[in-house]
Amino acid sequence: MEADEKIEKISSQTLISNSPSKRIRIRPLTKASLVLRGTLVVLVLLTAYTFYTIDVKDVNFVQGMIGTAKNVKVMFLEPHLSHFSFSHALYQVMITLGLAFLTTVFGAIIAVFLSLFAAQNLSSKRVSVVIKGFAAFIRAVPTVLWVLIFAVAAGLGSVAAVIGMTFHSISYLIKAYSESFEELDKGVIEALQASGASWWQIVFQAVIPSSISYMISWTFMRFEINFAVAVAMGAAAGAGGIGFDMFMASSFYYDIREIGAVTYFILVIAILLEVLATQIKKRLKVNI
Amino acid sequence: MTALLEVAHVSKKFGNDTKALSDVNFSVREGEFVSIIGPSGAGKSTLLRCINRMIDASSGEINFDNVNILSLNKRELKKTRTKIGMIFQHYNLVNRLTVIENTLHGRLGFKTTFAGMLGIYTEEEKQQAIKILNVLGLNEQIFKRSDQLSGGQKQRVGIARALIQNPRMLLCDEPIASLDPSSSKVIMDHLKNISVKMGITVLVNLHQVDVALKYSDTIIGINGGQVVYNGSPKNITPDDIHRIYGSEAGKLIFDMGEIHAG
Ligand SMILES: Nc1ncnc2c1ncn2[C@@H]1O[C@H](COP(=O)(O)OP(=O)(O)O)[C@@H](O)[C@H]1O
Ligand SMILES: [Mg+2]
Repeated sequence: MEADEKIEKISSQTLISNSPSKRIRIRPLTKASLVLRGTLVVLVLLTAYTFYTIDVKDVNFVQGMIGTAKNVKVMFLEPHLSHFSFSHALYQVMITLGLAFLTTVFGAIIAVFLSLFAAQNLSSKRVSVVIKGFAAFIRAVPTVLWVLIFAVAAGLGSVAAVIGMTFHSISYLIKAYSESFEELDKGVIEALQASGASWWQIVFQAVIPSSISYMISWTFMRFEINFAVAVAMGAAAGAGGIGFDMFMASSFYYDIREIGAVTYFILVIAILLEVLATQIKKRLKVNI
Repeated sequence: MTALLEVAHVSKKFGNDTKALSDVNFSVREGEFVSIIGPSGAGKSTLLRCINRMIDASSGEINFDNVNILSLNKRELKKTRTKIGMIFQHYNLVNRLTVIENTLHGRLGFKTTFAGMLGIYTEEEKQQAIKILNVLGLNEQIFKRSDQLSGGQKQRVGIARALIQNPRMLLCDEPIASLDPSSSKVIMDHLKNISVKMGITVLVNLHQVDVALKYSDTIIGINGGQVVYNGSPKNITPDDIHRIYGSEAGKLIFDMGEIHAG
């Protein structure tokens, strides 16, 4: 009897309510979850409003869908090259790959040095925060925009594309590299410092060997991104390469079939890069 | 015999109110085997790190080999650090490198920045590395990656990395805290050998009182950042142990009783 009373007392003290009317919340209503719900509701309302007020002019929705499907069918089932040859296309793909490669290599070299100073375990807190802040700012602006910004000084073309793409690659790789440097156990650095090794020796003998496989994976990842960007740059910034041919086919010749052919070209390269990346990662035994 | 290491009135404050060490005094002879014991947070690691200035002491004086450690500039400090090897609880090896590469890291402090960066070592250095690894029983592991080793083997690589510095003194921060009893014995035997046969001074932070009593020439007991015992393990009394460990000492006295009996 007495024990029962005690349990009763404890449960009321620890606020375990026995009344069935009050449901137990597993997930408390925090500020964050309220904001999330509010956002979702607003988005749903906006979508509904858009559909309601959309102006389709004289286009019939069903006919429009059928037309689009037909175009896609022609594009991908009847691809051909009419304004340039296969070997020209191959050459242009190489140019695009070259643009991606160049900007990745430039970006990687510069990023290695900056990320050493961005890693908190190798640098001072202040320097690290400044570099990471800058890199975050550069990353927040899309690559295409950087190319257009540099085009103001360099004119639209390959120079602006190289500078803009390198710029964005640097900031992306600074984040990737410095985070993998920071993974290194503080004790390892301490051990080498205690034996009289210098900063540069520690960097090259401990920090980089420990993170090299992550660095290679991230660099390759950036190369894949840069390939996609390089295609877009050919079209949008006149940087040449396969992107420019695609731009001509679509906006100048209105040749849907040629667009299909170019798309297949790009797809093949993208798949090859993906396979290569998987192989490299398997060899290096890293998962990112 | 003259003292190799002299610690005088050393204090260390972290921030404004954490006093990790207060007025620590002791001296260590050449070739002496000294164990520093005390409860967690007593200041053992801080004390070791003040000696090679991985941490700067707030006040006091530390003389090593007739050099005032606290007055050294950056370059002189690096040179002095090459004479002091350090061994850690978690080994602190570069996992992706081989055993011999990790061992040779102990030579970096003797090389030009550039040669060290590229890992260019002389043939003598490589031969010495192999010799040391043989002595420590690692001849089969020389070209293995260090993350493939057992804990005890990793710690022996840690010792090899310290020994290749040709140090006058070894600082060991809980070298056996992560090891099983038999690996612990191997490591402690090696450290004892190093002190007896090579005449290298050894300072070890230890958790296990029985191990400290068995191996040491001198025991330094620390509690709350203060030295509360400094003397031979033979003269240590249950009272002393109680003062070093405070209220946790019940079980430890039992251990010590066994040692003294045995
Ligand atoms: N970097 C640090 N910053 C602030 N306080 C520290 C730091 N390192 C150690 N301390 C404090 O100093 C005291 C001694 O720590 P430590 O030397 O690691 O003890 P032990 O090695 O004997 O366990 C502890 O109270 C610890 O919290
Ligand atoms: Mg400690």
